[in-house]
Amino acid sequence: MKGSTQVASINAIPEIVRVTLRQLMGRRRTIWLLLLAALPVILALLFRAASQTEIEPFTRIVFDTIAITILMPLVAILFGSGAFGAEIDDGTIVYLLAKPVPRWMVVLAKAVAVITVSIALSGTSMALAGAIELAPLGQDGVKAAEAQVLAIVVGSVCYASLFLAVSLFTRRALVIGVGYMLVWEGALSFMLPGIANLSIRQYALGAANAIYTLPVQESRLSADTAFILSGVLVAASLSLAVWRLMRFELPGGSD
Amino acid sequence: MTIEATPPAIELRHVARWYGNVVAVNDVSFGLGPGVTGLLGPNGAGKTTLLHMLAGFLAPSAGEVLILGRHPHRDPGVYRQIGLVPEREAVYPFLTGLDYVRFNARLQGLPDANRAALEAIRRVDLEDAMNRAIGTYSKGMRQRVKVAGALVHDPQVLLLDEPFNGMDPRQRIAMMDLLGQLADQGRTILFSSHILEEVERVGTQILVMVAGRLAASGDFHAIRALMTDRPHMITIRSSDDRKLATVLMADPAVFAVELTPAGCSVQTAQLGAFRRLIAGASRAAGVRITDVFSEDESLEKVFEYLVRR
Repeated sequence: MKGSTQVASINAIPEIVRVTLRQLMGRRRTIWLLLLAALPVILALLFRAASQTEIEPFTRIVFDTIAITILMPLVAILFGSGAFGAEIDDGTIVYLLAKPVPRWMVVLAKAVAVITVSIALSGTSMALAGAIELAPLGQDGVKAAEAQVLAIVVGSVCYASLFLAVSLFTRRALVIGVGYMLVWEGALSFMLPGIANLSIRQYALGAANAIYTLPVQESRLSADTAFILSGVLVAASLSLAVWRLMRFELPGGSD
Repeated sequence: MTIEATPPAIELRHVARWYGNVVAVNDVSFGLGPGVTGLLGPNGAGKTTLLHMLAGFLAPSAGEVLILGRHPHRDPGVYRQIGLVPEREAVYPFLTGLDYVRFNARLQGLPDANRAALEAIRRVDLEDAMNRAIGTYSKGMRQRVKVAGALVHDPQVLLLDEPFNGMDPRQRIAMMDLLGQLADQGRTILFSSHILEEVERVGTQILVMVAGRLAASGDFHAIRALMTDRPHMITIRSSDDRKLATVLMADPAVFAVELTPAGCSVQTAQLGAFRRLIAGASRAAGVRITDVFSEDESLEKVFEYLVRR
């Protein structure tokens, strides 16, 4: 009996993933994110039309300025903070939590959903853009394209996990996320090289070094360090989310 | 106080819950066995807070909450035996009714989730709409699909927060009958309501909460009698309030009369007799009545009276 219970609980993960994906993809803001995700592809087509032969201009403008600075964090923060946040706001979280499903499975399922949808948008966008503009530039171009996709994947996993956890602590996770993206990553990490160990952007850029050293100026971490720090961040975020969900309390009603 | 002598499926022992300085539930104790129990009280009485504690979504600040002998807070396993219908209306709008109930069945780990979902939908009479997105449902249909989701795993304990909200009279009667059938099968059902008539029809036992405290508990009819026997305060406006007061004071159904700026304020324990009295009294006094209104007919007033008792 206990064995069948365990199997039933494991089966809950794909169910929660499926419902969460539909929930995230059905929101109006997803359309705006799709348009934003189309931007690198459109720019890659323009670069190709202009017959660019260098890796650097595309990497600097499309990857560095748009994809890793705006698109990837924004997509992951929006989905990460919305997976639990929207359900807490509208009260549907009750239907998920009033079930005999261990809380770590709920968090894992939510994380799988937000990471999947984040990578599907940002990663696919960057993969297509790289295939259009960089792949035709030869071996280095292919490696640069792969490195850029890896950076987007690592960054998406980190951002989505972190803001999934943050959304269980505050209803302002989205505001905090955008603030982090603009202030910490956008300004402070440039001015203060010492905070590279606390920068998701640096984790993403560092991970890319495992494949190819991208021509971006401020990559400060080795690939190994970046993977270790990313792993620590994701593990800590998801553990914190489980801890928080186990202690989750509904706000008091009007009654 | 214990309503059932058998080991209770739901038990609260000196439970309190406060938010900062605000006490939402104050020293509540009761035990419930199989049957339907209505949790009655005005808005703000603490009903939802109490149900949230029973459902494991709030830890009591003091005391102990037990469902089938287990503490529901931080024990997801207890949900195999609990079905919960929350007050909030939101249900995943993008899922069809069948998808939603099947989702509940799968999270409960049922071996044949589809069959269980279809059976639960049949019980709430929602087969015709089960393949439509919940976003297109009426309020009453959403209530019913929530009930189906809560019933799908055949729980021993059913907690429902204002389950009849938004239902039309026919749906209400059907839902009340369903709760009655489930109770007859040995389930323990607790539902909250602020409408006396809802409780009267379906609840054999009631718990009355007022301002966070358990004001009364037990058989519905005994408590209803207390409510009926309480003094009623009625204000009458007439062409000559003083004259009318003199005539009314002479009747044994009236035990206090006061002249106020609002009119002639009368206290009576026999509401029916007093209503019959007014017409004759006004004729005898030769005054014309312009307005009659009850000052304390709100449920809050009824409950306050119970607290004072």
